[in-house]
Amino acid sequence: MVRRTQVLSGSCALVLLALSLVFSLPGAPLSSDAVIIANPDVPVGDLSFNEVRRIFLGERQFWSSRLRIALLLRAPASRERDVMLKAVYEMSEAQFRQYWIGKVFRAEAASAPQMFYSDEEILGAVSAIPGSIAAVETTRIPKGLKVIRIEGRLPGEAGYRLR
Amino acid sequence: MRYGLTLMCVSMLSFPARVYGQTANSAQSDEMIRALLDRIDRLEKRVAELESHSSAAAAPAPAPEPGATVAQLPAVAAQPEAAPIPVPAGPHAHSGMPDMGGPSPHIEGFGDFDFAATDQHNTHSGFSEGQFVLHLTSQLSSKVSFLGELSLTARPDAGTGSPPAPGFNVEVERSIIRFEENDYFKVSFGRYHTPINWWNMTYHHGEWLQTTISRPEMVQFGGSFLPVHFVGTLVEGAVPADGMNLNYNFGIGNGRSSVISRDGDWGDINNNRAWLIGLFSRPSGLYGLQFGGAVYRDLITPIAGQPYREWIQSAHLVWQKGNPELIAEVSNVTHEEVGGAVRANSQAWYVQAGYRLPWFDRLWKPYYRFEYIHIPEADQIFRTIPSLAGSTVGLRYDISRFVALKFEYRNIRRPDEPRVSGAFAQTSFTF
Repeated sequence: MVRRTQVLSGSCALVLLALSLVFSLPGAPLSSDAVIIANPDVPVGDLSFNEVRRIFLGERQFWSSRLRIALLLRAPASRERDVMLKAVYEMSEAQFRQYWIGKVFRAEAASAPQMFYSDEEILGAVSAIPGSIAAVETTRIPKGLKVIRIEGRLPGEAGYRLR
Repeated sequence: MRYGLTLMCVSMLSFPARVYGQTANSAQSDEMIRALLDRIDRLEKRVAELESHSSAAAAPAPAPEPGATVAQLPAVAAQPEAAPIPVPAGPHAHSGMPDMGGPSPHIEGFGDFDFAATDQHNTHSGFSEGQFVLHLTSQLSSKVSFLGELSLTARPDAGTGSPPAPGFNVEVERSIIRFEENDYFKVSFGRYHTPINWWNMTYHHGEWLQTTISRPEMVQFGGSFLPVHFVGTLVEGAVPADGMNLNYNFGIGNGRSSVISRDGDWGDINNNRAWLIGLFSRPSGLYGLQFGGAVYRDLITPIAGQPYREWIQSAHLVWQKGNPELIAEVSNVTHEEVGGAVRANSQAWYVQAGYRLPWFDRLWKPYYRFEYIHIPEADQIFRTIPSLAGSTVGLRYDISRFVALKFEYRNIRRPDEPRVSGAFAQTSFTF
């Protein structure tokens, strides 16, 4: 009985703590935004949402004749992948996989987006791969990587669509 | 606020320790403790994020320039010292390009097994092995790639002996070497699925990719209504066109052989090249929609009889976001006798609709297709193709992400023939 009471009181405290964290700071749900980052040699800093969609769908594959776009994504079950599937692809994980299998099968793309299992891996890849672009959710992005605005907006700003 | 939150977290951290001391022997309690610790870990991370945000809010950063580094981003904090970041290893990790040792082909496959039972005379019900399809891609440089598609098809006459025994027929379905200058200009050479029909260009031989078991009759493999294959060269590209996302292709090649269901793999049968032009749009404002059309021109030289000029016009309208799925295609084929007065127009069209049910994890997808083919008696080239009106209704169940079960009922009516009904089942997969 004592154990149950303690567990329940602990749970209530946790819920209260979570609520207080969420409501105490205006604009708090920042961590749910996906940040579009790119290799520094990518010649754009601002993209329309439709252009982001074209890029991540593999319909636009070149930044320029000399620079091919390399798509990078986090592995399934990551928050930023969920955001991209919901906001950009408007697909489930199964639909996403079928989409890319079909796209490669039709010779419309050489490969599906490369998949990474940690922030460190994907950030390292964006640093290293010319033309690469990725969606990440992180509070520790190293200097030197380019953050892409979407419709002129950055994560945390009103109207930002990748959340 | 920050100190208050920290104190709350500290007090919460001490809580599960007490719980653990009292319930160490209970598996249920252990599980609960682990869950609580996980929650606390997540909350601590959340506190850290919010504290970072509070700091940023207290001293607002200047508005970042497009392409700014994250040091200026309001939602995230810059890493004070850029620590070395591990770079993923592997030959393809950096650019998708092969290492200098040589090409690195990537292989995928499709397969299916089928069951069919119809009331058509002189047919038997039973199982059959569908096509075994191997798909190979290889990025040869940053701008050059190869794609191949190989099929093995069970046939009653593909074996050896006289009469030929059953066996497998091997065919190079597609073999394409492509150079990509940029999004606007790509040129390739090879054997293609003729890009004048959406179904033919979208599903190829991947039965798992298509919702249904059967293809529409107008693009049946081995059929004659549309030229399924094309050997030659193709120029393709796409332009944004203010959100219309226009895609074009222009091709020139050998066209049909003297057996019109086949293409001229080994060479053209006349000195007249076939050519085609296609244009389609995927408008940004209506994500999921594609519409377009194509024209195709060829000179057909049959084994016997006069040559005919062939004009094909086709159009498609597709909504393919899954709910609902809608595919509609129409083709008109004109055959005009060279030096003669015979001219005939044959038409084929189909409409297919599917809807992925919102229940049961969205794994079930019922569908329906109606198709129609009209061949006039004057069309001598298509004299062996019967007109047709048919309905297909079915249900697809995705067992896993890469395996599907499909159940289908078809009812087909041809002129001067009894109606044919059939039940079909298929498991199709990619590997």
